[in-house]
Parts: sequence; structure tokens; C-alpha cells
Amino acid sequence: MNILLYIVLILIGGILGNRRLLPEWVMKYMDQIQFICLLLLLFIMGVSIGLDEEVIRSFGTIGMQGIFFAVASIVFSVLGVKLIAPYVFSKGGEEE
Amino acid sequence: MSIAILAAVAFGILSGIFVFPSSMESSMGLFINIGLGLLLFFVGIDIGSHRGILSKIRRIGFKVFLVPLMVAIGSILGTAVAGIIMGVALNESAAIGAGFGWYSLSAIELSRHSAYLGTLAFVTNISREVIALVTIPFIAKYVGKLEAIAPAGATAMDTVLPVISKATNANVAIISFITGVVLSSLVPVLVPFFMLF
Repeated sequence: MNILLYIVLILIGGILGNRRLLPEWVMKYMDQIQFICLLLLLFIMGVSIGLDEEVIRSFGTIGMQGIFFAVASIVFSVLGVKLIAPYVFSKGGEEE
Repeated sequence: MSIAILAAVAFGILSGIFVFPSSMESSMGLFINIGLGLLLFFVGIDIGSHRGILSKIRRIGFKVFLVPLMVAIGSILGTAVAGIIMGVALNESAAIGAGFGWYSLSAIELSRHSAYLGTLAFVTNISREVIALVTIPFIAKYVGKLEAIAPAGATAMDTVLPVISKATNANVAIISFITGVVLSSLVPVLVPFFMLF
């Protein structure tokens, strides 16, 4: 059950951030630290896709079909959320 | 931002194919978990340092659940329409859409029906994750911040959350996490459900 671990990690981070328990310089460079870690994670995710011969082989055969499915579900999801976005942010939840 | 993301993923895939030995494959999961844990911790710090966010989310109330609902409907409708165009059976297309980007689970579930279906679910949902990573900064900028959650689907709570958090704000990051949790719990229910037909 990874969900519990995720919640715990976000909560610990949340408490540290909320109580201002981190040194000033860490908060100052938070954005950059986060972005570098993010790129590193994406690189590792890419490597694990590339290392998986099964994935590479199946992309050759039904890659286009899969990409079409993926694009269609993304487009319809975005449109769906667009329909309700004004309602969700109507009062109190305004965008920053 | 999108270019950096695309470059990191593409560079990773190419290094995976050409540089790293395949013996490393077994340890990749651990690396991903460590990186992911670190980033979720950062997302937490970000959310925590913006005070008053929880009360804001509380004011939105049950309406936050409209986001996963619309993403679920949109994802399934999207693959259903695509399936009709490509001549794939409706129940199979819907089941693939109900993977919501969680490729490992949807692929395992569907490969019990046929290897082709399992592979298609895998390719679709892994493509969804990669496309989400690259397009979210654009969608956040030109369509809307809440809409930026949509491409991620179930991955809105883990692998894609750091990108959403960076492209939007702490407020949307919390809604994103909630959306991911709801969608992830729907995958093991909905994928087998559509295969009943």
C-alpha cells in the first residue's frame, strides 16, 4: 500500500513547511532543488522504460494504437474538467 | 519546462536502451521509489508553507470529487470513441481507458483476457503518463490550472504530482492528490467491471 507512505511523506513535508522548521536557505532554493530532483526522477523513469525490452518491442507493434487511445482519453478528460472548473472554483476556492 | 521534461524522459529512455545494462532493470523500481518519495516530501513542504490551504479546500467541499469524476468519465469516453474509430470492441476500449494511466495494474488485469489487450493497455497507459508529463505545463498555462490535473489520471497522486505542483499552485496540488487517490482506487474495480460485458 503505497498510498499510506505518500500521505505520510507529504504530511511530514507539510508540517515542516507549515511550522517554518527548515533553514532559510533551503526554502530559498526550494524551487530549484525540486526541479533538479524532478528531472532526475523523470530521467530514471525514462531509463526504466528504455531498459524494459518488452515495452520497446510492444511499442513497435501497437504503439500508434496506444498513443491514439492515450491522446483521446487525455483530451476528453481535460474537456470534462473544463466543464466543472468554474463551478469548483466558484467561491472560496479561487485560483491564486 | 515542458522541453526540460521531455528531454529528461527521452534522454532516460535512450540511455535505458543503449547505455545501461539490462541487469539494472531489477533495481529501477527502488530508484524510482526513492526519487518519488523525496519529491512528494517536497510537494508537502510546498503545500505546508502556504498557510490556509486546508481551509480553502474545506470550503470547496465535496465539489473536489467532481474532478476525479470528470476525469474518469472523460478517460473512458475518450478511449471508447477512439476504439470505435479503430474498430476495437467497446468494452475492451472502455477497460483500457479505465486504467487512468496506471499501466502496471491495468495491463496485468487485462492480460488475463488476452496478451494483445494487456499489451495495448500497457502501451496506452504508459503513453498517457509520458504525454501527461510533457503537456501539463502547457495545459496549466493555456487551458487552466484545474484542467492540468486531468491528463495525469491516477498518476496525479504520485509520479505526475510534482509536475502538476510545479506548473500550478499548492491549492491545485492538494486537489490533484485527492483526484489521484480516488482514481487509483477505481482502477481495480472498473477495469474488471467493463470486461464483464
